[in-house]
Parts: sequence; C-alpha cells; structure tokens
Amino acid sequence: MTAVASQDLAAPSSDEPPGGNSRPAVSRTPTWRRLLRRPLAVISLAYLVLLVLAAVFADVVAPYDPADLDLDHVLSGPSAGHLLGTDPLGRDVLSRLIHGGQVSLVNGGVAALTFVMVGVATGLVAGFFGGWTDRVFTWAVDVVIAIPGLIVLLVVLTVFGGNMTVAMAALGILSAPGFARVVRGVTLGVRQELYISAAKVSGLPTRHILLRHVLPRVTGPILVQASLFFGAALLVDAGLAYLGFGVQPPTPTWGGMIIEAASVISQQPWLLVPPGITLALATLSFALLGDAIRDTSAERTGRQSGNARRRSAARRAELPRPAGAPDPAALLSVRGLTVSLPTSGGTADVVADVDLDVRPGETVGLVGESGCGKSITASALLGLLPAGGEIRTGRVQLGDVDLTTAGKSLLRSVRGSRIALISQEPVASLDPVFTAGQQVDELVRRHHGGSRQAVRARTLELLTSVRLRDPESVARRYPHELSGGMAQRVAIAMALAGEPDLLVADEPTTALDVTVQAEILRLLQSIQAERGMAVLLITHDWGVVAQVCQRAYVMYAGHVVESAPVAAMIDQPLHPYSAGLLASMPGRGRPGHHLASIPGTVPAPADWPAGCHFAPRCALATEDCAAPVPLSEPAPGRLSRCVHHDRLIEGATA
Amino acid sequence: MTASGLLEIQDLRVEFAGRRRHDAGVLAADGVSLRIDDAETLGLVGESGSGKSTIGNAVLGLVKPAAGRILFRGQDVTHATTRERRRLGQHIQVVFQDPYSSLNPSRTIGQTLGEQLRLVRGLDRRTTRIHVENVLRQVGMPADTMSRYPAEFSGGQRQRIAIARALVMEPDLVICDEPTSALDLSVQAQILNLLLDLQARLGLGYLFISHDIDVVRHMSHRVAVLLHGRVVEQGPAEGVTRHPDHEYTRTLVAAVPSVDVAAEAPPNGRAPHRNEQGEA
Ligand SMILES: Nc1ncnc2c1ncn2[C@@H]1O[C@H](COP(=O)(O)OP(=O)(O)OP(=O)(O)O)[C@@H](O)[C@H]1O
Ligand code: SF4
Ligand SMILES: [Mg+2]
Repeated sequence: MTAVASQDLAAPSSDEPPGGNSRPAVSRTPTWRRLLRRPLAVISLAYLVLLVLAAVFADVVAPYDPADLDLDHVLSGPSAGHLLGTDPLGRDVLSRLIHGGQVSLVNGGVAALTFVMVGVATGLVAGFFGGWTDRVFTWAVDVVIAIPGLIVLLVVLTVFGGNMTVAMAALGILSAPGFARVVRGVTLGVRQELYISAAKVSGLPTRHILLRHVLPRVTGPILVQASLFFGAALLVDAGLAYLGFGVQPPTPTWGGMIIEAASVISQQPWLLVPPGITLALATLSFALLGDAIRDTSAERTGRQSGNARRRSAARRAELPRPAGAPDPAALLSVRGLTVSLPTSGGTADVVADVDLDVRPGETVGLVGESGCGKSITASALLGLLPAGGEIRTGRVQLGDVDLTTAGKSLLRSVRGSRIALISQEPVASLDPVFTAGQQVDELVRRHHGGSRQAVRARTLELLTSVRLRDPESVARRYPHELSGGMAQRVAIAMALAGEPDLLVADEPTTALDVTVQAEILRLLQSIQAERGMAVLLITHDWGVVAQVCQRAYVMYAGHVVESAPVAAMIDQPLHPYSAGLLASMPGRGRPGHHLASIPGTVPAPADWPAGCHFAPRCALATEDCAAPVPLSEPAPGRLSRCVHHDRLIEGATA
Repeated sequence: MTASGLLEIQDLRVEFAGRRRHDAGVLAADGVSLRIDDAETLGLVGESGSGKSTIGNAVLGLVKPAAGRILFRGQDVTHATTRERRRLGQHIQVVFQDPYSSLNPSRTIGQTLGEQLRLVRGLDRRTTRIHVENVLRQVGMPADTMSRYPAEFSGGQRQRIAIARALVMEPDLVICDEPTSALDLSVQAQILNLLLDLQARLGLGYLFISHDIDVVRHMSHRVAVLLHGRVVEQGPAEGVTRHPDHEYTRTLVAAVPSVDVAAEAPPNGRAPHRNEQGEA
C-alpha cells in the first residue's frame, strides 16, 4: 500500500489546509518595511549607504586630499593624525579609501545596471511572447554562456584603451544570461495565470500588462540577483585593477590600494587591512541584503503568514474528556481523536474529539467542506500524519490493535493488509517510473510472495477484478498513459492486493468525470459485496453519499457534528450545518431562484469559537451555544452536536 | 430582441496543434453554433476536454478560431484587433474557475479593479474610486477591500472580487467558466445567488460553463451539451437536463448521483429572482 498511501497523505491534501478557507492573515506591510525589521539587513544596508554617501561627499568628508603627500609620515600605522595610517608616499589612507569608493562603486553600479537591464528585458520578452522570440533568446543565451568571459573582458579593455565603464558594461552583459533565464522562467509561469487572461480580455495594453502585472512578480529575483552581482562586480573591478587595468595612479581606487599595499606588505602589512576589509564587507553586505530580500519576498507571496494561531492553545481546555470505550462490534472504532498540526504561529488542533465507528462490511461516509478535517482524520487513522502532526489524545482501535500506540513495524504491516487507502488524484498516486503491472506486482509480492509467474498471475486477476477491459495491456502501461478512470481502477487493484478489511477512500471520484465516477462507484459497491470489505468514504458530494453509504458522519471545523443512517439524515438532518449543506445543493433548488445558503465560510482552526464551532454561521444560535456542545442522541442511532436540534424538526413540520 | 441577439456563434472551429510533431492535432470545437440574448443564460455542459472552455476563450479572443464567425450584437468580432478588443472589453467580460490564480497577488484589489477604468476608459482617480467602491458593494464586499491584497481573502471572497472585476466595465455579456467549481457547496450557493441577482438587476447575458448538470440547470435558461467539441443537443434547460433527446445527454444525466427522494419544493425558498421572459 505504501506506493499509494505515502504519496497522498504524506502532506495534508490540498483541499484541507489548516488555514482553510478563511482569510489567512497576510501582513500588508510593504516588502521594504519588513526588510527593515531584519537586523542583518539593516546593518548591511546602513554600511552600503555609508559607503555611497562617503564617496559622494568625499571632498567634504575626507580629512585630507587623497593626493597630499606627507613624506615625514610614510607607512605609519593608525594614529591620531591619520586614523587609518599612511601609504608609502605618506598619503592619508582613510581619505584615499573614501575617494577610491567613487570609482569602484560607479564601476560596480554600471555592471549591475547593465546586468539587470539586459537580463530583465530579454527574459521578460522571451517569456511573455514565446514563439520565435523565445527561440532566439535560448540560442543567444547558449552562445553567451559558451563565451569565455575573462578573455572577452581583456579584449574589450585592450580595444577600448582600458575604459573601465565599457568593460563593466561588458561584464554585466556577459553575466546576464543566467539571470535572464530566471526572469524568463518566472514570466512563463506568470503568463499562465488567469489574471493575465483577464487583463487581456479587458483590452489592457501589452506594455501595461508587462510592467504592472509581470514585472512586479520578478522584482524579488531582480533585487536578489542584482545585489549579489554588485558584490561580485566589485571584486572583478579590484581584480582588473590588479592586472593593471582601469584608472591609473595617483587616482585612488580600492583595487589600486590593494596592489600598493601588496607591494610593501613586508614593511607595513597593516596597509592591506583598510581596503581589504572595506571591499570584503561591501561584498558581504550585498550578499546578506540579497538573502534578506529573498526571504521577505517569499514571506509576502506565501498564502499563510503567522499571527495569532497560538490562540487556539488557550481553547484546548474544552477538549480533554475521558475517551469513551470503543465499540466492540466495530471493525474500526475511533474515540476522542484529537489531532494537532503545526501552523505558522505554533500548533493548532485541526481535528477535535472525533468519535467514529465502522462495522465489518459497512460503507460509511465522512462528509463536509474543505478545511473541516476529513483528510486529516483519515491520515491519522492510517498513521500517516504530515510532518509535525500529532495525535494528542484519543484511541484508534482496528480490530484488536490500537493504532495510536502501535509501533512503526506493526503499523506498516497493518497498512495494506488490514486497512488500505485510495486517493483523490489517481494518476498522481501512482509512481511514474514503473508500469501499472510492476506496481501491483510489488504489493502482491509483499503480501503473498511467490514466484514471478504466480505474482503476475495474481496481478492480472486483480486487474480483471476491477473490471479493466484489457488487463494485460494496462499492466504494461505507465501511469501517464492511463486515463483518470483507469488509473483509479489500478489504484483500487493495488489497495485490494493485501485483501484489507477496511478501505479508506479519500474523495476517490472527485477528480473524475460523472460518467467515470458512476463506473467507479459501481465497481466499489460490487467489490464490497463480493469481499465483505468495509469502506470509509470521504466526500463532499451528498449524491455520492446517498448512492453508496449506509451511514454518514458530517464534520464541521474539526468536530463530528452529526451522524445518522444516510436516508434518515437526508430526509431530516438534525444539525443546522448538515441541513444547510443539503439545502444549498443546486439540484434541490428551484431553477433560477435563490438557493438556501449558509453565510460565511469555514474559519481557520485558530478562529474556532470556544462553544459550538458552527455558531458564527448558524441561524439558530443563542447564548446556549457559547459553551462547548457535546454530542447528544436525539433519536436512536443518531447523534447531533447541537443544543437546538429539535427546532430543525419543528421547522420542517411547520 | 435584435435580429442577431447579444452573441451569436456560427460554425465555430478551433484546432490545437499536437504537442509533438507527429501527434495529431485536437479538434477542440467543431461546427459549434450557439446564441445568447440579452439577460439570458446559456449553459454549456460536457465532460472534461469536451471543449467548453475553448468556446469561451474563442469569444474572449484568447484562442484563434480556425473557421466560423463570432458576432457580438451583429458585428463580426472573430478576428478583432487589439484596439477593437479594448472596446469589446467594455461589453464582454469573464469570471474564471480558479479563484487563486485569477487575481494578481502583488496588486491591491483597488489597483486590479481600477486599472481597466483608468487605462481603457481614461477615468480620473476619484471617479475610478467611486466606481470601484460601488461595484464592490454590489458583490457584497466591504469598502476596505480596495486597499487589501488577494491573499487576505478566502476562495469565495476572491470569486466575488473576480465578479466585481468583470462588472466594473459594465459589460452586457459575462463568460462564466466554471465559476464555482473550486468552491465548497455552501459558498457555491452564495456565488450562484449573487450571479442570479446581478442578472436580474443588470440584464446581463451569461455564457455559463460547467461540468455540473445540476448547477447548469439551476442557472440557465437554455443548455447546450458538448461532446468532443460538438454540440450534441441544445434547448430549454429543464427539457434538456430532465428529458434529454440525445443518447449521450441521457448517459450524462443518469450518471449524476442524486440524493433526491422527494424534495420538490425549494427548502427555505426565497423571493423569486428570475425575470419571466427567459422561461416563457
Ligand atoms: N492551449 C491548448 N493547446 C493544446 N490543446 C489544448 C489547449 N487548450 C485546450 N486544448 C485541448 O482542447 C480540447 C478541449 O479543451 P477545453 O479546455 O476546451 O475543454 P473543457 O471542456 O473546458 O474541459 P474541462 O472541463 O476539463 O475544463 C482538449 O482536448 C484539450 O486538451
Ligand atoms: S449548537 Fe447552537 S450554534 Fe451550534 S449548531 Fe446548534 S443551534 Fe447552531
Ligand atoms: Mg474548462
């Protein structure tokens, strides 16, 4: 079963993020303000700003003229007169450093600016327009990357008589292709977004779409790359000076100062320190700044961002109550199951105090909207909670095994042989590198062993039992060569390989067309009749529940709010949430008229009220609903977590 | 009713080239003829890949038809230029399925809704603001929505905002491509109600695309059923979806699992909203 199970429940399925449907609290502060909350970013930025300001106002700030000779104090270390000492000609090192920044920073800036302009313009155009522009782009990128950069730089410098501006621009161009590819990649993604289509439909000019819709999405990468590259360009600048290019003495540059220091290193090693540290810190600051920008822009696009999720901890007080005794007649008996998941601000209980029974051979539905905890409940049953997820309290009794206390190896042997899973995305649940036959083979071998032929024979038997028309040809195919319906049949065959007593089916037909859905449901029913297997069917579709389930549990915001035989529940729901869901089905409304609807949406776990979780959306809510509401038994075989369930009956008969 | 109605599609054909050189192309729409009048909803139903979205996209100018004509108020817009599109954008708008990718995450709702008014209509800042606030109110969103980002809203709220974006331009026709397929049942009901209200109030025509027959029946005056890019049956919504003529439609309808036993009367029904003209 691992092939199916591990991929699907390893992470909470996309329909049930813990943050669910309600507004995730995303900070609205602009990126730059959030950047300023990071100490390292602030220090880096301050240092760079300081360098730039010093260079700009060098004439005012520098204590000496950088060319002033003071032959009485040659090669002095730091002193009161010369804070950073003097060089072999007695010139003030601090002043030369400040003036040197003018040349070095301008060179770095030229390179970075060229880099950004070339990278963004080409990447954006290639990604957005595609077609031949993209082909030319790809070709050009390959060519430029193949060119040996240093040699070109040296040639450029020779041809242009050592002009560093031209050389730095060339450096920018030569380094741009990798960056342009990044921009193109992001643009390709953004181009698929529906809001681009919507903008086109409105007739917005292409220029506007590019500048306002696409460009902002790439500003993150642009700033990161530009910052990193600026630092690298400073180093190249110094390196070229070392080779004797660029501005010639006596005009100070950082690279030039390093060379001068190197030539007198035996007499005064200190001289290497000021320009070396200045340059190293500048490069480091650019790198740190780039990283910080990357992190903050990632925060911004993330759908979840944390605040106040911790509050739910305070509410846990309502939960712990001694778990009831498991039902001895049940195959699966869950009592008081409470599951917590990590959220950005701590952890939250996303399933609370769930009781659930499935008897042998029974089909039980688990119904509710996304964010109500259906999938997490299923993954808890199978011991497949996502990383950081934890069963806080409760028992999960499968036959004579308590799955919450069972060890890893026991769990593994139970999965597949006694309890199996099929999931919502049939094709994605299969391993793309093996054929369907190989994947069924592996499970057959694990559960029964036997010779190669015996295993394959059993595989074909299984594929036949899920009514695949040509099992041999299906066995030879890879998952991507199967339609959704065929893939789901293969997944069911795999689930059956261990002859489980209980099949957990998590939205098994949601991704399929109705005609295929009907076939799969029929198949499940007949297999169940043949083998006496029990099924726990998770779905949001009442039609599916009505068609195949005997009993159903309705979940809302982590709680089971109602359970009853299906026909009785559909006929007379005893919880306002089930009643509201049933009434909002378009098939039950009068065409063209308002559907009954429940106001609002399912709140995020952190926002669940202390009392009845449904209260904020409930038309029947009163003060009595502000305290935790236990499950009660309004009629034999029926449970409701509502203090006013009787009003639903009055409402129906009035 | 004008001679050619609000939208008329004649013999539309759309082909997609195969992905690789040797793959055969896909005929995503083949001889499709449809028509929508003012304040009318035409439902388009069919299974995945039957060409529903392709037809909507052709009307929106997002895919190029290989043959056939698309007439908007009698005028041929099949091969509209970018400039003509800009003008058409004031009459034909769209609401897509995916509430997560249909709004630009890095722009505020106010910017997204206002840009068309400012750029296409050339309105000033103040007038734009008033317009946008007005439309947001119509879809039931609070006024402070304007200064917020899409990430701050739930799927249902985003879909309301996407509807607001379509309405800002005061269109006559809205292409609704699976507008509620990504939403939960209770939220779907809210959005469907909103779309019905807006149609009654503004006289909008809808091309309503969905794979869900119950939803299409609930929303549409007339329904067309698609199979492999062809319309196999079209007619009044009740007739087509309850007593289909075509074999395929019968299969489709029979496949929908039903809860219903006996509920004929609308549970908790409220004031009727449909203007009678469509149903007659
Ligand atoms: N851009 C495209 N390039 C190539 N083929 C495409 C493209 N868009 C659609 N198709 C193909 O055209 C056919 C019709 O697709 P379309 O998206 O219109 O179907 P649909 O009815 O909207 O399906 P769904 O219910 O899955 O949205 C399909 O075979 C599809 O693979
Ligand atoms: S307990 Fe109160 S709030 Fe909760 S469902 Fe019942 S009536 Fe509504
Ligand atoms: Mg579609």
